[in-house]
Amino acid sequence: MNACVDLIERSVAPDASWIRPDIFADEALYGLEQERIFGRCWLLLGHESQLPEPGSFFRTHMGEEPILVTRTLEGEVRAFLNLCRHRGAQLCHEDRGVAKSFNCRYHGWAYACDGKLLAAPGEKQLYYGELDKEEWGLVRVARVESYKGLVFGNFDPDAEPLADYLGNMAWYLDILLDRRAGGTELLGVQRWRIPANWKVVAENHVGDEYHVGFTHGSQLPRPIESRAAPIPMAREIRPELGHGIGVDVIPEDISPGERGGFDEEVNEYLRSIAGEMRERLGEMRPRLFPIHGLVFPTLGMIPILNSIRVIHPIGPGEVELWSYCMVDRDAPQRVKDILVQRSIAAFGPAGAFEQDDSANWTGVTRNTVGHQARKHRLNLSMGLGHEGEVAGLPGEVGLTASDINQRGFYLRWVREMTGESA
Amino acid sequence: MMPVDAQLLADLQLWYAREARLLDERRYDLWLETVDEGIRYQVPTRYLTAQGDVGDFGAWTVERELTQAADVFLIDDDYAGIRTRIERLQSGMAWAEMPPSITRRIVGNVEPGEVHEDDGIEVFSALMAFKSRGPRERSFLTAQRRDLLGRGDGDFRLRRRTVIIDDTVLMGENLSIIL
Repeated sequence: MNACVDLIERSVAPDASWIRPDIFADEALYGLEQERIFGRCWLLLGHESQLPEPGSFFRTHMGEEPILVTRTLEGEVRAFLNLCRHRGAQLCHEDRGVAKSFNCRYHGWAYACDGKLLAAPGEKQLYYGELDKEEWGLVRVARVESYKGLVFGNFDPDAEPLADYLGNMAWYLDILLDRRAGGTELLGVQRWRIPANWKVVAENHVGDEYHVGFTHGSQLPRPIESRAAPIPMAREIRPELGHGIGVDVIPEDISPGERGGFDEEVNEYLRSIAGEMRERLGEMRPRLFPIHGLVFPTLGMIPILNSIRVIHPIGPGEVELWSYCMVDRDAPQRVKDILVQRSIAAFGPAGAFEQDDSANWTGVTRNTVGHQARKHRLNLSMGLGHEGEVAGLPGEVGLTASDINQRGFYLRWVREMTGESA
Repeated sequence: MMPVDAQLLADLQLWYAREARLLDERRYDLWLETVDEGIRYQVPTRYLTAQGDVGDFGAWTVERELTQAADVFLIDDDYAGIRTRIERLQSGMAWAEMPPSITRRIVGNVEPGEVHEDDGIEVFSALMAFKSRGPRERSFLTAQRRDLLGRGDGDFRLRRRTVIIDDTVLMGENLSIIL
């Protein structure tokens, strides 16, 4: 443990203006992350729309833990470790579906979708009626809470409430989640493996506006000379330490639809909901256009392209990215179809943007595992000391492209990793 | 069993072999000439799901695993989307394919299906696709292709392609090549 703390202190500058890639590669740190990051933070499980009826279920992960999420017959959302309490066998093998109960295929213990042990074969004859079924129900994820449709889980029974954990980030999330009375729905999921450390992927989501002009050069106007001037960049906002969002403030003379470069059908839809958005969000927030963001530690988002993703760690050198499209539930089907098609053309494993992101993340991870490479500092100094505030925007603001959010991410990571309690 | 149209089968096998070669040789402009401008090119997501009630086995079991109404595809391109994909590969800034992956596509199990009224023909086939960018970047996938080929000007043209990948979680970093 002390070795881990020493390594953390040696590998992240006190102001996070630099880090050493030891924190990507070290196995012991990764083990500690499972306990202190994935065991204590609020992690996205999914969306209420994925559990449309009593008995609906889907599988996911919290850190490396296999999780089963269900809607009980009473309509409550619950999450469990996806293992049978008897001998530890994997309980549910399907990715999603509807079931009134779950039968373990090893010895046949059966559980209700609220996690109660319903029956074990031979209860009377073999267990002499002495098996305490109340005690041997599924292991519940200690806390499950929703924020406007998004369902989160936390293994820590003493964790702060989800709303407190999100803090000021909720004010920005509402631009996506609460702009219409009908809320949102989550579509998907695309799942793929990338041989990259989870923090490399997370730091890109939390605040890396800088990479867009080069990494995504294939998708920007050409010839390259025509964009020699700095491309317009979103403001990087740190609502709370660890969370981050990049937000474009849309000038008064441009409509959100024009800013987003949407098709006319989508623009017409955006115009039709403008009044509802102002009513729900006030005058300022409808003019904010979230581009990218992260809820610490692993809920990434590319709101400009309707993409919501969870970065599931699979060991220090690999992630399984789960990417969904999020749309307004009450949008016309045609508008949803256009937005989804646009989203997956850009993001996801075959997306024109994300293919090149994944190549970068892989390269960082692979090329910093060596004894020599691990020792050298990597730079996160952009905009250090130039953070500020903007009236009406909660949180600290990078006044242009800035590493402010990446620094916040790593400072939060240090706090969680070295703190005895959350 | 339907009588085999040996000439049709040979023509199809040759067409698929040439298509695979054009893609492996990265001759995208020539490949695009084999694609109909009305194309829909889709790669569904795939899930492990229950196969339905006992007695229902075999009834659309693969379809149950694929992209449903509340889902997204991995790829859902029209002709403009495919053209954009190719322009990206030729942009000089598509880093996932720079240097380009070395690929090999092997197409087998070519099985002519239903012939449409306008002479379009459905074809099932199996694809093995390998890509390599050196020893640490190698991936391999297999898939079913469900194609609709148009016939005209003495050659086939790809009007619809659905690529059903034989994985629920895609391995190999990204889907940077055309399947």
